[in-house]
Amino acid sequence: MAETKIDAAQRSKINLKVDIGGLILDNPILLASGTCGYGMELADLIDLKSMGAIVVKGISLEPRQGNPPPRIHETPCGLLNAIGLENVGIEAFKTKQLPWLREQGIRTIVNILGNTIYEYEKMAQELDGLAGVDALEVNISCPNVKEGGVAFGTNPQSAAQVTKVVKDACSLPIIVKLSPNVTDICEIACAVEEAGADALSLINTILGMAIDIHRKKPVLGNVFGGLSGPAIRPVALRMVWQVARAVSIPVIGIGGISTWKDAVEFFMAGATAVQIGTATLVDPSTSEKILTGMVDFMLRNNYHSIGELKIRE
Amino acid sequence: MTLQRFNLKANILENIEIRPDIFLMKVSAHQISQHAIPGQFCMLRSNLIDGYDPLLRRPLSIHRACKKTGQLEFLYRVVGRGTKALAKHKPGEKVDLLGPLGSGFHVKDHEIPILVGGGLGVAPLLFLAESLPGRKGVVIIGAVTKSQLLRLEPLRETGLEILLTTEDGSFGNKGLVTEVLDRLLTNLDNDAKRDVAIFSCGPMPMLRAIYHLCQDQGVRCQVSLETVMACGSGLCLGCALPARDGYVHVCKEGPCFEADQLEWE
Repeated sequence: MAETKIDAAQRSKINLKVDIGGLILDNPILLASGTCGYGMELADLIDLKSMGAIVVKGISLEPRQGNPPPRIHETPCGLLNAIGLENVGIEAFKTKQLPWLREQGIRTIVNILGNTIYEYEKMAQELDGLAGVDALEVNISCPNVKEGGVAFGTNPQSAAQVTKVVKDACSLPIIVKLSPNVTDICEIACAVEEAGADALSLINTILGMAIDIHRKKPVLGNVFGGLSGPAIRPVALRMVWQVARAVSIPVIGIGGISTWKDAVEFFMAGATAVQIGTATLVDPSTSEKILTGMVDFMLRNNYHSIGELKIRE
Repeated sequence: MTLQRFNLKANILENIEIRPDIFLMKVSAHQISQHAIPGQFCMLRSNLIDGYDPLLRRPLSIHRACKKTGQLEFLYRVVGRGTKALAKHKPGEKVDLLGPLGSGFHVKDHEIPILVGGGLGVAPLLFLAESLPGRKGVVIIGAVTKSQLLRLEPLRETGLEILLTTEDGSFGNKGLVTEVLDRLLTNLDNDAKRDVAIFSCGPMPMLRAIYHLCQDQGVRCQVSLETVMACGSGLCLGCALPARDGYVHVCKEGPCFEADQLEWE
């Protein structure tokens, strides 16, 4: 649990509520997909209800086993991973994890991924109208699977196509998660906005690798992996700044955020909300500490809302 | 799911280099000590690390837990930057501690446990041995040479039978732990074999040999595995290893597994 709690009276002086394309959240601190399980894996360690929302581990139509090990490797100030989207599949999620999340009253954004446009459409249809699902985050940017995922996210046409199909298939707010592994992220962001996305989240991990020089082979079983953690934060911040100025839909900042100061930077760059990922793996209570620190910063500096933090040229 | 884990800053009481690069750290962590069972582990990060490098906590098995004093012990080798930072700590300083994590060993009521540890594999076995007061059982400890046989004193105090072996013959039997175990099992009749169970921790080749031995002899075997981990708490799915039915996660379904559930080749 967080070390200090801001009392209600103080907290009422600032409005932490954010509107992410129609999804209204009590605060802008979210847990990033792939670093918080389906919530129950963290429930004894933090108060999940105090988070703006959790973005559950990416779900596919069928369960996936994931990549062969090794799947992770620590790098300077960062973490390379190639988990390979191991997940329980949508049926299990609907019958087991989702009811639990709903009972707990945890705001839930479901991250979906597919091999084909049809699979994205089917997932959106299946999740539409289900109690407990607050929004979808469309993963078109996972670098760790051979087919699907990143293939959609690196091309403006296919990114727009997936977005449109998902948007038409359901009435939920649609957040599209963007890949940094592209020449011009703003081009993709604009295409996705035009196709009907309600919000964007960025960045997914940066494609990287490591080599074991003693065994003379790549460290990761998948050869390539996605780099996350503080090492990528400046890249993520730059992309959030650029995209926030290129589109008019809300942007959720992700990438190495580990302290409240990092979060404030992303809000100043133009993010409406942020997601905490790798930092939760290092310390499960990071998101609570960030929320507390943010509120304290805003009180001390006379900010009344998240929107006031944005740097406006 | 009824997980009882605690994320806290623990006060370091002792941190002694008992052999070159091998440390014994004692911390005060009351809540964890009350809930820990033998075979479980904790994730530790030195508070001497200023910034994000190294980034992740390190998994260490619980060497000892005392409910009365609220103390935990960790036996660890300095292998990289994370453990190097831990080794620098002095009493009175603090570490980030998350635990207890994962599954523990499960000794059934009727079983005669045989604990088999190679090298630093003794780390989780002392806690297990101390949890079996008054029970009949055997502990087989092996190392390359005499100076690498660790923690013999507290093991002897458990009252279990202790068999020692070194590869160079500098102390106890000359040879591998598997040879000692093989002789022990071969001398048992089939009824006795049904009642013994092996609980083992050590290098992967040793565990593989023990698994095959137990398969041949028809003896139940649990092993404690070690992998690289990021979160240690079931969030990242990074510590997957191949098993009979797909992958298992060492931090969640393990680190203690029934050996016949794993894929050994």
